Amino acid sequence: MKTHIEIENLNVYYGEEQVLNNISIDIPDKKITAIIGPSGCGKTTLLKSINRLIDEVDGVKVSGKVLVDGEDIYDPKAEVTQIRKKMGLLSQKPYPLPMSIYDNVAYGPRIHGQKDKKKLDALVEHYLRESSLWDEVKDKLHSSAARLSVGQQQRLCLARGLAVEPEAILGDEPTSSLDPVSAERIERKLLELKGKYTIIIVTHSLRQAKRLADYVLFLYLGNLIEHGPAEEFFKNPKHVKTHAYINGRFIDEHKIDKELNLKGTECPANFVKTKIALEGMEIGQVLKVIVDDKTAVSEVPKAVEYDGHKVLSVNPLNNTDWEIICQKEL
Amino acid sequence: MDKRQVEENIFKFLMGVSTSIVLGSLLLIVLTILAKGLPSLSLNMLIQTPQGGYYAGKEGGILNAIIGSLVLGIGGTFLAALIGIPVALYLNLYLPKGSKWATAVRFSFDVLWGIPSIVYGAFGFTLMIILGLRASLLAGMITIALLIIPIIARTMDEALKMIPAELKETSYALGATKFETALKVILRQAAPGILTALLLGFGRGVGDAASVLFTAGFTDNLPTSLFKPVATLPLAIFFQLGTPFPEVQQRGYASAFVLTVLLLLVSLVSRRLSKKYTKHIVR
Repeated sequence: MKTHIEIENLNVYYGEEQVLNNISIDIPDKKITAIIGPSGCGKTTLLKSINRLIDEVDGVKVSGKVLVDGEDIYDPKAEVTQIRKKMGLLSQKPYPLPMSIYDNVAYGPRIHGQKDKKKLDALVEHYLRESSLWDEVKDKLHSSAARLSVGQQQRLCLARGLAVEPEAILGDEPTSSLDPVSAERIERKLLELKGKYTIIIVTHSLRQAKRLADYVLFLYLGNLIEHGPAEEFFKNPKHVKTHAYINGRFIDEHKIDKELNLKGTECPANFVKTKIALEGMEIGQVLKVIVDDKTAVSEVPKAVEYDGHKVLSVNPLNNTDWEIICQKEL
Repeated sequence: MDKRQVEENIFKFLMGVSTSIVLGSLLLIVLTILAKGLPSLSLNMLIQTPQGGYYAGKEGGILNAIIGSLVLGIGGTFLAALIGIPVALYLNLYLPKGSKWATAVRFSFDVLWGIPSIVYGAFGFTLMIILGLRASLLAGMITIALLIIPIIARTMDEALKMIPAELKETSYALGATKFETALKVILRQAAPGILTALLLGFGRGVGDAASVLFTAGFTDNLPTSLFKPVATLPLAIFFQLGTPFPEVQQRGYASAFVLTVLLLLVSLVSRRLSKKYTKHIVR
């Protein structure tokens, strides 16, 4: 897979708070990449880091590199308007500019120096067709964009973004404010466009990610937990948190005081070792045990509970390994 | 009736009283002006300048003051907008949200807003002397501008604050600079707020007597030069009401009526004009 955007060791801080933690990822060219994860995990921040809209956030600090076509967009010499021109943005709620439909689409080309009326006419028609809006608006190009329905507005925003001839489309939950029919049209459009553009969408909806994505990134609390081709990612998540998230379970956060790797051991050696480890701990401390023996998955928790300790969670890590998290009680 | 219902009723009653006081005083002012001024209001008053002995009850009108006030008000508002609009844009587009500098600027404007207009008059007078100007249209415009800059800048500032951040981001994301965004997107989106700000400033400027007392002077002639004195309606009203002649005092009330109608007309016309620009606004 060809890489379009390379992110290397990206850290983003809002004031003191770190919102993205050492993210490194290659985003494939001309595919749909979905960024998923629970609210507040840094999805939108990651998206905005790619076109430097993050610069507009007060008190933001960015370190690391984002290479688009091999050039670092955070290089002090890089020109921010040219970087943004390469990325079309679709926001959560469509924001038409306060002008006519025509002027909305022509806004970008005009800013970047296109003055020829005929060429602008052609551009406007082309991109309104490209976003399947032309037939609905061709008779009222000079009426206000604000009067369109929300679904039409989102397609107008798409046309407007495409009109600056970007290389990539960034969508920040682009269908979340739309009705199901409009949402489906946008999704279909994105699938059509992926041969021409690299598309990155942030989404809350796993089903949407499954429908659209070729490649998936899972972010959790500012960390890139897992990424991979979509099919592989959903069928066979490698990380316990990914597994929990795509199965709709809560991700429990425990502060782990001690870790015990019991891979390759069998019953009863593994639960004896677990008990001994708990003996040496203080009340309230948390122990994480990793096992790969099938019987251990049921036997170790039983033994722990028999001794009066608490089992907090038992999660599969991958095909063979499980993690058992327990807390010392007595 | 239970206690909470009684509370509710008392509160409703108090709100009703307050509202009636406000509406009542407005009505009373308009009625007073109408009752006292209307009998002496005539077409001649509107289309003639004061002839000899006008203030003693002879022929003439207040065209000099009507035109003078309009020119002075429009000029002052224009000057104030030249300074107020960039300040408001700077506060909202270029400075970070929690900026101490922005807080300081806003605070200064709030203080300036509260300063009585006679102080602006005195300040304008000092400025005039430094610049070597005499009481003139230009000096009046500058003083009026100083008086209404805080009003225009702060009212616009509040209007710009309401613009969603996403709208700015949308424009930036297309590769626009802040300047392009300000000029092509923000000013349009904030057009009604900006118009309100300009109108508020204009109204204050046209209606103020104290600030132009020393700086604009007074004359019976129509304004022809930036460097000559100019007549204003508030001062015309003041001089007419100050005469011992009842018929001239009546003309004073008629002039007040003219000033009120003038402000109303300006407001209506600009609102009509702004409809043209506000149809694109995204809510």
